[in-house]
Amino acid sequence: MPQFTPGNSLVAKNRRKFLDPKQKLQKLRDIAEEDVVRLLGHRAPGEAYKSIHPPIEEMEEPECSVREMVKPTPGAAAGDRIRYVQYTDSMQFAPATPRIRPMMWYNRYRGIDPGVLSGRTIVEARERDMEKIAKEYTDNETFDTARTGLRGRTVHGHSVRLDERGMMFDALRRWAFDERTGDVRYVKDMVGGAMDKEVTLGKPLPEEDLKKRTTMFRNAQGGVWLEGDDPEVADVISEIHWNRTWGGFQPFIKRDAIKGNKGVGVKGMKLYTPRGGVE
Amino acid sequence: MAKIVDKVDLYDDRGSKLVGNVPLTAISPLRNPAIRKICSLTARSAAVDLAGLESRLKTGAIAGKQMVIRGKSLSLDIVGKAKDIANQVKEMLEVEAGDETKVDVMSGGKRLLVQVPAARILADYSAAKTNTCAALTHAVIDTFKVDMWHAPDVKGAVWGMYPQDPAMTGSVVATLVDVPISNEGPGYTLRNIPVNHIAATVRKRAIPGAALSMILEEAACYEMGDAVGPFERGHLLDLAYEGLNANNILYTMVKENGQDGTLADVVYSCVEKAKKDGLIKPKQKLGSGYTVYGTDDLQMWNAYAATGMLAAVMVNCAALRAGQAVPSSIMYFNELIEHETGLPGVDYGKCQGASVSSSFFSHSIYGGGGPGVFHGNHIVTRHAKGQFIPCFCAAMCIDADTLYFTPARTSALIGEVLGAIPEFAEPMKAVAEGAKQIM
Repeated sequence: MPQFTPGNSLVAKNRRKFLDPKQKLQKLRDIAEEDVVRLLGHRAPGEAYKSIHPPIEEMEEPECSVREMVKPTPGAAAGDRIRYVQYTDSMQFAPATPRIRPMMWYNRYRGIDPGVLSGRTIVEARERDMEKIAKEYTDNETFDTARTGLRGRTVHGHSVRLDERGMMFDALRRWAFDERTGDVRYVKDMVGGAMDKEVTLGKPLPEEDLKKRTTMFRNAQGGVWLEGDDPEVADVISEIHWNRTWGGFQPFIKRDAIKGNKGVGVKGMKLYTPRGGVE
Repeated sequence: MAKIVDKVDLYDDRGSKLVGNVPLTAISPLRNPAIRKICSLTARSAAVDLAGLESRLKTGAIAGKQMVIRGKSLSLDIVGKAKDIANQVKEMLEVEAGDETKVDVMSGGKRLLVQVPAARILADYSAAKTNTCAALTHAVIDTFKVDMWHAPDVKGAVWGMYPQDPAMTGSVVATLVDVPISNEGPGYTLRNIPVNHIAATVRKRAIPGAALSMILEEAACYEMGDAVGPFERGHLLDLAYEGLNANNILYTMVKENGQDGTLADVVYSCVEKAKKDGLIKPKQKLGSGYTVYGTDDLQMWNAYAATGMLAAVMVNCAALRAGQAVPSSIMYFNELIEHETGLPGVDYGKCQGASVSSSFFSHSIYGGGGPGVFHGNHIVTRHAKGQFIPCFCAAMCIDADTLYFTPARTSALIGEVLGAIPEFAEPMKAVAEGAKQIM
C-alpha cells in the first residue's frame, strides 16, 4: 500500500486523497460531454476524432517486447491526435496545485504527458483520453469555478489578487459572473475563442470550504503553515535533500558516517517568519 | 580497479536468461570485448555521401546549400566511379595489409561506409574523419585527373567549411561521433549521438535500444572521469540493472504493469522490489504513520531506481504509443519515488533536474527540437550521468511516428549501416557473450 506523501495536516491528507486512486474524488458538477468538447475547442461537438496514424491493430508494429507487453490506451489504439487540457490554480486556496496535479494524474491515468509551467498545469494525451480527463477534472472537487481556470493560453492570474467576488483574474475574460444566480459561466473556450453556446459551470465554493479542500500550504490568510503546522512534511523534504547530497558526495559510504547527520528532519528549527506571513 | 564483488544474471529483452553469475567487472566498458568493439566502431566509422559530393561540385554549392560559388562547376561521375574511389580510399587508409579497414560501396555508389583502422588513432579519434576526408579528396582528384586550379574545389566540397569552421559544417563525410570542438566537455565523445540513430539501429525495439544507448553513455562516463575508484561500482550497477536487464527486474516491472498499470504503479513496484530484496528498510516512523526508508547501499538503490525509471517511461509512453512523455515521466517517477520513501531519485536528483529543461526543449517551448534528436552531449541533458538518455531512446522506439523527428526521418541510413553489425543490432546478447569470454 503506497503512502504517497507525508504529513499530518488537513493539507497533507487532502494531497493523499488526490493522489490515491482508490479514493474517489467528489463530483461537484456534471458538465455535459458536449460542453467539455466546446470548452476545449479542439474539435466541434459531434465531430469525429481526427487521427495521426492508422489504428494500432492495422499497423505493422516493430517486434518490440515492450509494445507487446503494454496495452495502448483507447485513444492510442485508435490513432487519435495528441491534444491538451490546461488548468490554472489560484494560490488563494484553489483545491489543486500545479505540483499535485501531475502526481495525481500519474496515479490515476495511463498514457499521459503532464507538465507544470509558470502558473498552469497542462496534460497532453490522445484526444479521447484527454477529453475523459478534462471532463472528470472539471466536474470534480479539484476544480472550483472561481479559483481554478480552464486556460489554454494567457494563463496568468494564479498569483494575482482576487476580485471582489473572489474570482481569479483572467486577462482574456473567458468567464462571466452571473450576479443574479451566482453562477460562473464560460463565454469563451479554453484559448479565448468564440463558442456557439455559453457553458455554465456553477457556483464557486464558499471560502471556508475551499480552505478545507485545498492541497496548498500557505502561511497567510488562515492557511496551513508547512513549517509551523506540519513540520513532518518539511522533515521529509529535508531528508530527501540530505540523501541527494550524500549521493552527490560519496554514495559508497554509510549515511551514519557523515558528520552532522541528525536523522530525519531538523530538530528545533527556528522559524523567523511570523504566523500569517509578512504582508 | 577498485574491488567490486557484485554478480548479476543478464537477461534479454524477452526475459530469457543469457548468462548467470556475471561479475560486474565483466560488463565494464574497459574490459567487455563487445562494449569495446561497439565504442571502437562508433569512433572509427564514417558515412560518405558520394551523390552529394557529385552534385555539390556540379552546382558550385561547395559546402552545402548556402555556400555557393557561382560559375564554379565540375562535372565528375563520382557515383559511377564509386568502386574505383572506394578501392583507392581503402588502400590509403590501410596501415597493414588485411587489417580491419573497411570501405564498402552502398546504395549503388551513392554512399560509402568507411571504417578507419584503430592503428590510425594515436591520440585523437578525429583521425577517423580527417583521414577519410583527406583520402577521399585525393582519390577524387586522382580518379578524375583534376588539375591544380580545380583541386581546391574538391577539397572544399569534401571537407566543408573547414578550416574556417573547425566543426567542418557541410562536409560530405559524416561520423557517428562529432569533432572534439562540438563536445560539451572532455570525455563527451560517445554521448554525442542522437537517440534516433540508436533507435533505428536496433529496429525500434525499446529494451535493446535503451541497452545500446546506455552502453555508450556509460562508456562516456568512464572517459569523463566519472567512474573511477569507488564510484565505478555505481556506474556498473546502473548499466547492469537499467541497461542490461540484470536479474530480469526491468522486464518484470514492465510486464507487471503493462496491461493496466500507471506510471505511479511502476514507482510502487520498484519500492516493493527494493523492500523485498532487503535493499531499503524502515528508518523512522513519523507522527502521521508515514515511514521514512533508509539504505546501507545507496549505489544499489540508485540502480534499482534507474531501472524503475526506465520501466516507468516504457509503461507510460507505450500506453500513449508516443515518445513525447519521456521528460514528464522521468520527472514524476523521481518525484513520486522520493515522496514515497524519503530516498533520493535517480542519480541523486540529477535526472529530475535534467528532465525539467528537457521538457522545454522537447515540447517546442524553447526551440524546435524533439526527443528523437536528443543526446547526452547537450546543456539540458548532460547532468545525469548515464541513466537519462536511454529513457529517451526507449521512448523513441515505442513512438508510433507521432513526432516530427522520427527515426525513419533522421536516421534511416545510419540505422541500415549500423544495424548490419551484430554488436549494434543485438547489444544485450553481444555484451553477455563478451562477458562469458572474460569471466
